[in-house]
Amino acid sequence: MVLVAFMAVLATASVAYLLYARGFFEPTQKLVLIADDSEGITVGMDVTFSGFPIGRVNRIELGADGNVRIRVEVPKKDARWLRTSSVFTVERGMVGGTKLRAFTGLLDDPPLPDGAERRVLRGDAMAELPTLVSAIKDLLANLQAMTSADSAINASLANVQAVTEKMRGPRGALGAVFGNEADARKVVLLLERTNALLARVDGLALKADSLVGKAERQVFGDQGLVTEARATAVQLGGLLGEARASLRRVDALLVDAQAISGQARVATEDLGALRAEVDASLRKVDHLVNEINRKWPFARDTEIRLP
Amino acid sequence: MSGIDNFRGGWAATWTRWAGLGGEMRRGGRDAASLLLLAISPSSYRSPYRSEMARQIYLGTAPVLLWFTLLVSLLSLVLIRIVVVTAASYGLSQYALEMVVRVLVLELIPLSAALFVAVRLSLPGFSGVASLHARGEFERLRQRGLDPLRMLVVPRVVGCLFAVPALAVVSGVTALVLAYLVVHGPTPWAFDSYTRRVGHVFSPVVSVVFALKTVGLSLVVALVPFVSALRPRDAGPRRPRAALNPQLRNLVLMFVLILLVELLSLVGNYY
Repeated sequence: MVLVAFMAVLATASVAYLLYARGFFEPTQKLVLIADDSEGITVGMDVTFSGFPIGRVNRIELGADGNVRIRVEVPKKDARWLRTSSVFTVERGMVGGTKLRAFTGLLDDPPLPDGAERRVLRGDAMAELPTLVSAIKDLLANLQAMTSADSAINASLANVQAVTEKMRGPRGALGAVFGNEADARKVVLLLERTNALLARVDGLALKADSLVGKAERQVFGDQGLVTEARATAVQLGGLLGEARASLRRVDALLVDAQAISGQARVATEDLGALRAEVDASLRKVDHLVNEINRKWPFARDTEIRLP
Repeated sequence: MSGIDNFRGGWAATWTRWAGLGGEMRRGGRDAASLLLLAISPSSYRSPYRSEMARQIYLGTAPVLLWFTLLVSLLSLVLIRIVVVTAASYGLSQYALEMVVRVLVLELIPLSAALFVAVRLSLPGFSGVASLHARGEFERLRQRGLDPLRMLVVPRVVGCLFAVPALAVVSGVTALVLAYLVVHGPTPWAFDSYTRRVGHVFSPVVSVVFALKTVGLSLVVALVPFVSALRPRDAGPRRPRAALNPQLRNLVLMFVLILLVELLSLVGNYY
């Protein structure tokens, strides 16, 4: 009995382990990868992220638009590696199986929703081969056109050869450049004249040199401009010193003037009080005069007589 | 003319032999079906057959379990080591584990369990039953009111039926553990990736085929010898072939059927 129970437990545990290994107990989310070729992709193969398997191909079908739809089951706990910006590639090496890979650059992006559809990029060398071959073919055709007998490059090379041959001739490169002898001679003549001109310019330069020497003597000599200017500058320094002394005196004067004006301000304030007193006195005098006018008999007749 | 006669005679003989073989197979099939029916009917597990049934199940598995597991472990260890080292030297170590699991757990272990049970249990059982039959034990049981099939044959059949999956499961688990230890060493951190690889191998189809194969092998091993043991010795005209050692005949028939089951499982797994 114990034996039977042990075997039953062992068999059940094995089955449970296999179901666990198949991801039977894990909640999953779906992902549909769309590729243009299902070669090498099999049901049950892994989708890897950084080399770790994070999903399993569940089903492969041919869509209505002729594209291959690869359904992938991704366990919920691994789905956090897949974001909306994730990129999926299918890679086929020369040796070994096909690999489905996921790449996520920004892990802060929102997570990939359940049932999302994404295009698969092809990342294998073999797939690029036909394009490469056709490009190489084009390149070879171009090369062939360039190297054929009547090609532009050949003609250019022939011209270059003719030119270099002319250069080797008696007239040299000038003959090759101008094509005829007359022009080449003119150029030679021009060069000779230029030489003569240069010789004259040389003479002129010599004269200019002596002129410059004289001018230097005039300027920097004992009686030169510069010496006199230095003396003038010394005199000017003395003058400036005197001017500074005068200015100092003016400054003192100004200080005195400031003091005077301060006192004047005080005086004007006193003047205000004085004026008020004078006003009061005048009013009293006025009053007094009025009193006297009223009391004295020789007062003016102030009544207005009506006719 | 004599040539044509000879030819006709040869044809006729072959035909008769094939027809005879067909009839024999039909009879064998019928006997096997009745034995199986008895084995799965609950009344065979009730008293007074219960104790004998338990005894045979225990005797069929327990004494050989340890030995067989040790033997398979040793072989597995050698095989795993060879496969892993070879694969690593070719730079294909990522496929080594899958290959080990496929070759050992799926193919070699069930087959060796079946052969082991056949040689160790069912063929000796056949001899025992045949000798009991010859000694008239069956008649004696019948006189005591007991069913000799249920008392003597069915418990042995069930013992064999139980032994094959039991040995296969125990040694399969041992081989998986050994493979883990050989490939990754005594660390728990590779458990997830290992589990994933094992899960990769045991796809639903492969698992069903594996289960069916184990059951098929155990049926072949358990039923073939006992069916022939039930055959009365003097039935039918004595043909020269009947003079062949019955144990050898059983062995050959068993091997042919095991081969058939293996072929079917391979077809199921890889096509």
